[in-house]
Amino acid sequence: MKRSEDTNQFDGRTSDGLDSGGDLETKPDSVEDILRSDGGTVDSPFERTATVEETRRDRIDRKLKDYLWTPWSIMRNDWRAIVGVSILVVYLLIGTVGVYLIDPTHPTHGESLVGPFEDWSHPLGTDQSGQDILSMTVYSTVPILQMMGAGALFTIVLGTGFGLVSGYKGGMVDTVLSSITDVFINIPGLPLVIVLSVLLEPEHPALVGVLLAAAAWAGLARAIRSQVLTLRGEAFVEASRAMDVPTISLLRKEILPHLMPYIVVNLVNAARRIIFAAVALYFLGILPYSDANWGVMLESAYRAGAVYRPDAIHWLLVPMIAISGISIGLVLLGQSLDRVFNPRARARHERSDDGKGSEPESEPNTTNVTQM
Amino acid sequence: MTISESDASLVDSTGTDTIVELRDTSVSFGMDRGESRVLNEVNIDIERNEILGVIGESGSGKSMFASALLDAVPAPGTTTGDVIYHPEDGDPVDVTGLSKSELKQFRWEEISMVFQGAMSSFNPVRSVRTHFVETLSAHDYDVDAGIERAKDLLEDLYLEPERMLESYPHELSGGMKQRVLIALSLVLEPEMLVMDEPTAALDLLMQQSIISLLNEIQEKHDLTIVFITHDLPLVADLSDRLAVLYAFEFAEIGPADEILERPAHPYTRALLNATPNLSAPLEQMRPIEGESPDPVNIPPGCSYHPRCPLADEQCKSIDPGPYDAGDSRNHDVYCHHWEQSIDDLERAFTESNSDDSPATRNASHSDDAEPLVSLEDVEVQFGSENDGWLDFGESDVVTAVDGISFDIYENDVVVLVGESGCGKTTLGKTAVGLQRPTDGTIEYKDRDIWKGSSGSSTLEDEEIRRALQIVHQDPGSSLNSHQRVRSILSTPLNRWHPDLDGNDRRERILAMLEYVGISPPEDYIERYPHQLSGGEKQRVALIRAMLVNPDLILADEAVSALDVSLRVSIMDLMIELQDAFDTSFLSVSHDLSNARYLAEKTGGRIGVMYLGELVEIGSAEQIIQNPQHPYTQALRWATPELEQDDDPDENPIRTIDVPDQKNMPSGCRYHTRCPDARETCRTQKPELVDLSNEDGVQRTACFRVDDDHEYWDSEPITDDAVDGDEDDDHVNVSG
Ligand code: SF4
Ligand code: SF4
Repeated sequence: MKRSEDTNQFDGRTSDGLDSGGDLETKPDSVEDILRSDGGTVDSPFERTATVEETRRDRIDRKLKDYLWTPWSIMRNDWRAIVGVSILVVYLLIGTVGVYLIDPTHPTHGESLVGPFEDWSHPLGTDQSGQDILSMTVYSTVPILQMMGAGALFTIVLGTGFGLVSGYKGGMVDTVLSSITDVFINIPGLPLVIVLSVLLEPEHPALVGVLLAAAAWAGLARAIRSQVLTLRGEAFVEASRAMDVPTISLLRKEILPHLMPYIVVNLVNAARRIIFAAVALYFLGILPYSDANWGVMLESAYRAGAVYRPDAIHWLLVPMIAISGISIGLVLLGQSLDRVFNPRARARHERSDDGKGSEPESEPNTTNVTQM
Repeated sequence: MTISESDASLVDSTGTDTIVELRDTSVSFGMDRGESRVLNEVNIDIERNEILGVIGESGSGKSMFASALLDAVPAPGTTTGDVIYHPEDGDPVDVTGLSKSELKQFRWEEISMVFQGAMSSFNPVRSVRTHFVETLSAHDYDVDAGIERAKDLLEDLYLEPERMLESYPHELSGGMKQRVLIALSLVLEPEMLVMDEPTAALDLLMQQSIISLLNEIQEKHDLTIVFITHDLPLVADLSDRLAVLYAFEFAEIGPADEILERPAHPYTRALLNATPNLSAPLEQMRPIEGESPDPVNIPPGCSYHPRCPLADEQCKSIDPGPYDAGDSRNHDVYCHHWEQSIDDLERAFTESNSDDSPATRNASHSDDAEPLVSLEDVEVQFGSENDGWLDFGESDVVTAVDGISFDIYENDVVVLVGESGCGKTTLGKTAVGLQRPTDGTIEYKDRDIWKGSSGSSTLEDEEIRRALQIVHQDPGSSLNSHQRVRSILSTPLNRWHPDLDGNDRRERILAMLEYVGISPPEDYIERYPHQLSGGEKQRVALIRAMLVNPDLILADEAVSALDVSLRVSIMDLMIELQDAFDTSFLSVSHDLSNARYLAEKTGGRIGVMYLGELVEIGSAEQIIQNPQHPYTQALRWATPELEQDDDPDENPIRTIDVPDQKNMPSGCRYHTRCPDARETCRTQKPELVDLSNEDGVQRTACFRVDDDHEYWDSEPITDDAVDGDEDDDHVNVSG
C-alpha cells in the first residue's frame, strides 16, 4: 500500500528539530555529555571509538539475534509457522532418528495385507507381499527429503544467482546469462526430465532432485532478474555504489533482502513441486529405483488394485497422507516466513517486547478516492 | 473543555453566504495503539466564491480535511460531526448523511476534487476524450454539450483542445495531465473545487502558471476553491482567506493579508519564519523546534504547547477556543495569548538569534585557486539511435547535458536549479562519477575520474570514488527499507574504516546520530527506515555520506520532499556538516528559495540550467537580486513569495510547456519561450559571458548582456498566431 504523506506521524518518532544550530566549537559540553559508558577517547563525534574491544562473543551474539532470535519471535506469534515448523520437524525426526528406531522390512516380513491397527508388530499394516508399511514409509522419508532438499536448493541457488548477476551486471553478462535462462525456460520440462533420467539413470535421491529441478530454476532466474533491474535503479543502491561497496556485498546486503520473501516462497514451492514430480515419475515408472519410496509404494499399491480393494486401501492411503502432510507443512511455513523478512513485522515485534505500542499495518490513504 | 470569548466562527457566518460549513467535524481511525484522531473537531465556514488556502505540514490532518468535505474518508476511518453543504438555491444538505448514489452525484456535480497524483487518476489505455465521455455519461449529462464545454475549459487552460482529447495519458507531460484533470473536474460545472496539493509534483514555472490560471478560472466560473497545501508561499498570493492547520485542528483562520502580515498564532508565525523565500533576510529564517504530535497522543489543552515559547499553565490544561483577532471580524485564532504573541515572539526570536546564528560565510575563490572537481564540456546522451530491431520509430537520443563546463572548489557550494528534464540531476550525477559522460571530461584534482574504468558504473580509482558522494532526493528510497539504521550506517564504515570493530562502529554511529540531533540515539540505531520521519531519514542519509569522508557531496533535491518548516533545519545541518567535514556541496534543486538559502548562507553559487545547458551561473545575491538571463528572471517570477501582491506581474514566458527534448530548438534554446527573443536568437547560440563585478561573480548566456550585439538590430520573434492578444494567450503545445 502506498503511504500517503500524511501518515508519517503514525510511526513513533521523536525529535525532528535540530537542537542546536551551533557549530562544533560551541558545544564541547554536549560532546562530553555524550561520551558513552565505556569511555572511548574522543575529540569529536566523528572520531569516536570504543575502548572495549569487540569480542568474538559479541559478534556471535549479534548474528544470533539477527538471524535466529528475531525471526523466531516473529514466527512464535503465528500459528501457521508453529504448525508448519512442527510438521517439518516431525518429518526430519522420522528421517533421522526414526530409521534407527524402526527395523527395515522385507517381503514376507508379516502376513499379506494386514490392516492398520490390527497387529501391533505392524501398526500400519502390511502390503501384499507382507512388507511393513510403517517401516517402508519411514525409510522412504530419507530419500524424499534428500531429493526435496537438493532440488529446492538447486533451483534457488541457480535461479537467484543467475537472476542477481544478470540483472545487476547488465551488458554482455546479462545477454549471455539471459540467453541460457531462455533456453531452459523454453525446453519442455517433463520430456527433458524423462530423457535425462533415461540417459543418466540416476539412483542417488539428491541427483534425482537436481534432475527434477533442471528446468525449474530458469523461471525464477527470469523473475529475479526483472526485480533486480528495478532495484538497481533505487537510490540506496546508487548510494552504495558511490561508497564503493564491493559488488558481492552490495548484492547480498542491499538487494537480496528485498528479494527474500519472494525467494522463500519459491523455495517452498520448489520443494513441493519436487516431491510431487518425483512421486508422479516413480508412479509412472519413469525413474529407476532400487529402494522403496512413497511414489513406488503408490505405484505398487495401484498395480495391485488397491483402489478397488477395501482391504488394501491403507497401502495407498499411508503414502498419500505422508505426501500431503509434508506439503501442508511446507505451505504453512512458506506463508509465515514471508513476515520474517518484513521490516515492519520485525520492528513491531521488537517494540511490543519493549512494551511500546505497535503501529498499524495499513494507514489512511486518500488516493483511492480520486476516481469516483 | 473549550472556552472561547467569542463564538466567532459561528457568529460570523450569519452575514455571509456560506457554501460549506463544518461543525465539530472529526475523523478518527481505530488503531491498536488507541484511537487516532486525524481531524479533531474542526469548525469552519467556507464562503461562496472564495479561494480558501488551507496550510498544514504533513501530519496535520490536511488530507483528511479534504476527504471530510466530500465524505470520502477511506474505509476504516469514521467521520463524526456535521458537514453541511448549502446549494445556491435549495435546502442545506448534510453530506455525511448522503447515500452512496447521492454521494456519487454530489461529488463531481457539486464539489469536485483534484489530487496530487494526477498520473494515477488516468486510465492509461483510454484517451482523454474517453475520460470526459465516461464522466459525463456516468452522471447522465449531455455528452456533446459536455465535450464542447470541455474544449472551452482546455482552451482556458492553454491546451489545444482537439489534440488533447485525442491524446493518451502517457503522451502528456505532468503539467498537462494536471491541467486536463482540472478541466475534467470542472466539466460537470461543480460549485466548489477541492484541491489537495495539486501542484506538488510540478515544476516551478508550471506550478505558478497553474496557480495564475486558477485565479482566472475561479472568476470565470464563479467557483469556490479550497486549496490545500503544505507550501505556504504558494497560496499566499492566490487565497482570499487562509486557514492554518496544526495537529488536526485549525490554529488560525483569517484573511490572507492579515495572516501574512500580522499572524496572531505563534505557530503561524513560526511557520512563516521557517519558510525559505527569496526576499526575507536569512537571519529571519529559522526552523520550528520540536515536532508535530502523534494523532493518538495529542497534548491536552493547546496542542501546540510543547513547542510554544509562550506556553503557560492555562495553555496546558485549557483548549483555546476561537478568539477574534485583528481588525476584520472573521479572523479567528485558537490561542489564549494571541495578543502577546506578536511582541513576545519577536523578542524570543531575537534572543535566540543572537547566540547561534551561523554567520554567513563568504567563500571567496580567487581565480588561481585549484578546483576540486572540474567539468569540461560535459555531454550526456541517453537512448540509442534505434531501440531494437522492432523499433521503426525515429532515433530517440535525448541529450540531457550538452557541453557544460564549470569548476567546484574546496569548501564550495554550487546549487543547480532548473525545471525537471533540464538535466540538472544528470549533470550532478556526472560530476560525482555516477553517470559516465558521453563526451567531455571530469577531473578531480587534475585527474580524469573515468581514466582506467571500463564499465559505465564504477570508477577505478578508490580515492576518487571515496571523495565523491551522493545524498538523494527522496528520503523514502535513499535508505534500504530492509536494514536498520545500524547496518545502514555501518556500510560506509565497513568499507572505509575496516580497522573499526563492531563496538567502535556502534559508538561512532551513536555519536553521529546525536550530533545531528537524533536522540536518544540508542533507540534510533535499532530502527528501520519506516520508523523514522522524513527529516530523520534525510539526516541519516547525510550522515551516511559524511562517514565516507568525501570531498564533494551531490545533494539531489535533498530537502524538496520535506515539509517547508523542516527544510531550513536540514539545510542548516548541511552547512554545519560542511564546516565540520570540509566538504563541498553540489546541490540540485527545482526551488529557487531553497537554492538561495543554501547558496547565500555559504557564499556559494547558483547555476541555472535550461534544456541541458547552463544559462547563467553566479553568486546567490547576483542571481536572485540581479538576474540577467530572461529564464532566470522567469524562475524568479515563478517562485512564490510570502506576500500578497496586488498587481501580479505578467507571466514572463510565452509558452508554459517545455519544448520536446528530442527536437531541441535551434540557436538559443530558450527562444521558443523567451519574451525578449529576436530573430538572431533563432540562429545563433549565445555563449556564457562573464559579468562578474565587485558584487559577485556572474556569467550569463544571453545576447542581451552584450550591448553591441547584432541581436539589438534584429526583429523580435513574434508568434505565428499574433492577433493582438497578450503573448501568453497562445501556447505551442508540445510533448
Ligand atoms: S500561547 Fe498557549 S494557547 Fe497560544 S499557542 Fe502557545 S501554547 Fe497554545
Ligand atoms: S539569447 Fe535571445 S532567446 Fe535567448 S535568452 Fe537571450 S533574448 Fe532570450
